[in-house]
Amino acid sequence: MIAGWLWSAAACWAAAAALALGASRRVSLTLTAWVSSAGGLAALVGGVLLALRGTATGTFASSSGPVGGLVLRATPLASAFVVLLGLVALAIGLFSPHYHKPGTGTAIYLSAYNGALLAALAVLVAGNVTTFLVAWESMTLASGLLVLRYRSQQGAARGCLLYLALGEVGFALVVVAFVLMATQCHSLDLATIATRAASVPVAWRSAAFVLALVGFGFKAGLVPFHIWLPVAHPAAPADGSAFLSGLVVKLGVYGVALFGFQLLGRQAPWWGLLTMSVGALSALVGILYAMMERDLKRFLAYSTVENVGVIVASLGAGMTFASYGQRPLGAFLLLVALYHAVNHGAYKTLLFLEAGALEHGAGTRDLDQLGGLVRTMPATTVISLVGVLGIAALPPLNGFVSEWLVFQGLFQGFRIPGHVPGVLIVLAAAVLGLTAGLVVMAFARAFGIAFLGMPRTRHAAHASEKGQPLLGPGLLAAACAALAVGAPAVLVALDDIARGVTGVELRPDLLARDLTVLPAHTAFSGFSPTYLATFMVGVAAVPLLIYLAGRPRGASRSVPVWDGGIVEFKPRMQYTATTFANPVRVIFQRFYSPTVHVDRASEDPAGLSGPVHYRMQVLPLFEKYLYSPVVWLFRRLARLLQPLQSGDVNWYLLYILVAVVAAYFIAAR
Amino acid sequence: MSIWFLRGLRRGVVTTRYPAVTDRWAAQLPSPPLFVPAHLTAELVERLVAICPSKALAREGAYLVLDVGACTACGRCLKAAGPAARPSGVFELAATSRERLLKRIPVKGGPP
Amino acid sequence: MNAVGPSSDVGDTPEEAVAARLKQAAAMFGRSLHIRTVDTGSCAVCESEIRLLLAPHYDLHRLGFFFTPAPRHADLLMVTGPAVRAMDVALQKTYAAMPEPKVVIAVGACPLGGVYAEDALVHGSLDKVLPVDVWAPGCPPSPLALLHGLLVAVGRLAEKVGLLNFWEEDVAR
Repeated sequence: MIAGWLWSAAACWAAAAALALGASRRVSLTLTAWVSSAGGLAALVGGVLLALRGTATGTFASSSGPVGGLVLRATPLASAFVVLLGLVALAIGLFSPHYHKPGTGTAIYLSAYNGALLAALAVLVAGNVTTFLVAWESMTLASGLLVLRYRSQQGAARGCLLYLALGEVGFALVVVAFVLMATQCHSLDLATIATRAASVPVAWRSAAFVLALVGFGFKAGLVPFHIWLPVAHPAAPADGSAFLSGLVVKLGVYGVALFGFQLLGRQAPWWGLLTMSVGALSALVGILYAMMERDLKRFLAYSTVENVGVIVASLGAGMTFASYGQRPLGAFLLLVALYHAVNHGAYKTLLFLEAGALEHGAGTRDLDQLGGLVRTMPATTVISLVGVLGIAALPPLNGFVSEWLVFQGLFQGFRIPGHVPGVLIVLAAAVLGLTAGLVVMAFARAFGIAFLGMPRTRHAAHASEKGQPLLGPGLLAAACAALAVGAPAVLVALDDIARGVTGVELRPDLLARDLTVLPAHTAFSGFSPTYLATFMVGVAAVPLLIYLAGRPRGASRSVPVWDGGIVEFKPRMQYTATTFANPVRVIFQRFYSPTVHVDRASEDPAGLSGPVHYRMQVLPLFEKYLYSPVVWLFRRLARLLQPLQSGDVNWYLLYILVAVVAAYFIAAR
Repeated sequence: MSIWFLRGLRRGVVTTRYPAVTDRWAAQLPSPPLFVPAHLTAELVERLVAICPSKALAREGAYLVLDVGACTACGRCLKAAGPAARPSGVFELAATSRERLLKRIPVKGGPP
Repeated sequence: MNAVGPSSDVGDTPEEAVAARLKQAAAMFGRSLHIRTVDTGSCAVCESEIRLLLAPHYDLHRLGFFFTPAPRHADLLMVTGPAVRAMDVALQKTYAAMPEPKVVIAVGACPLGGVYAEDALVHGSLDKVLPVDVWAPGCPPSPLALLHGLLVAVGRLAEKVGLLNFWEEDVAR
């Protein structure tokens, strides 16, 4: 039954990929999008059913072939991501007909997109190593094509290159990790590996985990493997970026969770601590870079790095708790990580789609050129506000619920005996707390500068949202609200998933009867997202009712708001995105090490000096100190090896002779 | 304890008790002039009107009009008038009507 | 002169209207008054005298008067300077932002028409811009004169200048 839903989703996407090739016309473009959405809906239903079922389905497709062949099996851990895949595909499918213009470029793009959806589904239901790796690579290549859509634009080629290059490096490491475990367990089937992993020496398992963490970290966007995100996202079209951030990075998270919780048996404590530290640092670095960004899409890309950091930190903390015997907390933090992953998929996709609508309507993505869009694009503003409130983790929306639960899990670090893990968990909680504060500021900046105030340029003043698709983003906004208010229902499903993965029964310690959520221990804390949402709405209604009831009946005088007596407001009086983030830049100066260029037209004093140009650039830490040296090293190596490629046929014949003789000797042994 | 507090204790309360009690030095503050019409000749009046920098003095028929509101207590008319004017010592000059601040002072010479 | 309170009768002379408004103000403000100052181009010496009101020697707070930056909280608008035209909008906005009942006091010789005549840059007299209730002359008015003006505005003291003639018989002879 579940398999049926998943097969129909796959069939829809395969059909959409084929239909898309005819998308040079509006009709086939719309049809492709609808079929894609239908596939998304099927995947959503299938994922929810799979989650509620709680155990792996039997292998629903298997064929022998070279290196193990194709094996498809739906596991509980994958179900959360299948739900996310369905939701993202549904929303993007509803959005894309209005966003793209029919043409050859769109045709190829949509075909690649649906192919990527299909490959992503295959990754999630892969039952053995071969299927996983083939699907993974197909997904990487297909989504790389998404980045290349507007290939004449400046950053597109570099974005695609970085994405594919880092994707390949990650893939190589993932291959090694899988092969390591497969050879140690003498099987390519993932379920068999999981059962036999306990007998593998811990050194091999640790090596496999670290390789997987780094390899999947490249895809997930963990610092320092994240540098493709801010380059690829602005280059891709809005729904492509939404897909990348909403889903593709989550597949990296899925990989980490797969290795951390399922494939490697009992975790060693330092795996979890390492993962948690990497996640926490990732979150902080991500939001610090996000704060300095003027380009809305680069900003959202860095914000994805931050959220992935939170998710991975939660996973790591869960692994730590599990390895120290605190299995309920381990399961709880895994559950919360999955919850946050789904939430992030919902609101990040929403924000990227709205960023695309904004770029279409206002003509620019640069925050310093926007402003006042609440008047010209009201629907976009409202929907974006829901997404912003969600991602800033403000109550009562879904980001708040999952972030709160992450903290509730981390605060129980005292249950682990031993100082080092306890201190590390507390530090991770502190870093995540700092990150949460910075996230609120960063999104207040992005939303406020873009939508509120006065338009800073003519583009922004003449923005319009005519023809903008509302259904897809609106659906995601509703999903954000539903994921928050309906948290008990979501947690029921997630609890089934956690039980399926870890075998721990959490329910009585997770959900009390009166819709209260408990963090895996009854005597620690509890809160009810449903009641919180109701309470907030109620509290907001009270002043309104008082006002309506007590309005003065007599003559009253209406005057403009007191604004300090300013004669005329000018857009240049407002904050810009750069100045709003100035306090953070000053405080974290050592980290940013900004280079500042000031060009004056003349040395005359202020007022007479003519235009002054101020340019500030943040230090690209990882590009400069990690990637450049590596690239330089490889270039040196390549230059050293260049003489081998002499072009002289005689040398080549010699190489062939040497190779044949060596092969003979190796084979003869 | 702050040195100001100790100094204050030594000096006592310095806050003025106005409006209950008016300070004695208030009469020495710069104030609009008080004229003695017996010494106000027409020619003196013309000179006074010319030297007032804020147009507080004007000749109107048989009267010298002093606009108390416009007077800045600069003292030029006091110096030039000699026995014809002295400082009034009045500082409570607030009025609710602008007209009440225009004072008509009879000129000795009568109308010109 | 205009903007009388809600209970004015047709047929009041402007003077009576001001008196009526001040009476109403006195009923409300007798014990506590919040003052908002606006400088419409003065030389800032009046501002120095106003600032001295808060010093221990004059101590405005003992009379129940307070300064406030927000016109929404203010009862009395204290205006210095010759009503420069560039400040018209700001002055009007400040006045409009103050809730009824409100009182305007013009402080110094400048808003009373002394020193600066009306020209392209200044109005010269404040009543060309706002309805003025109390005029407080002086250049600058000493803090005592300011206190007197404020107390007249809230009806705690009676006006004195109306009774004075500023001339006397020659007593020396």
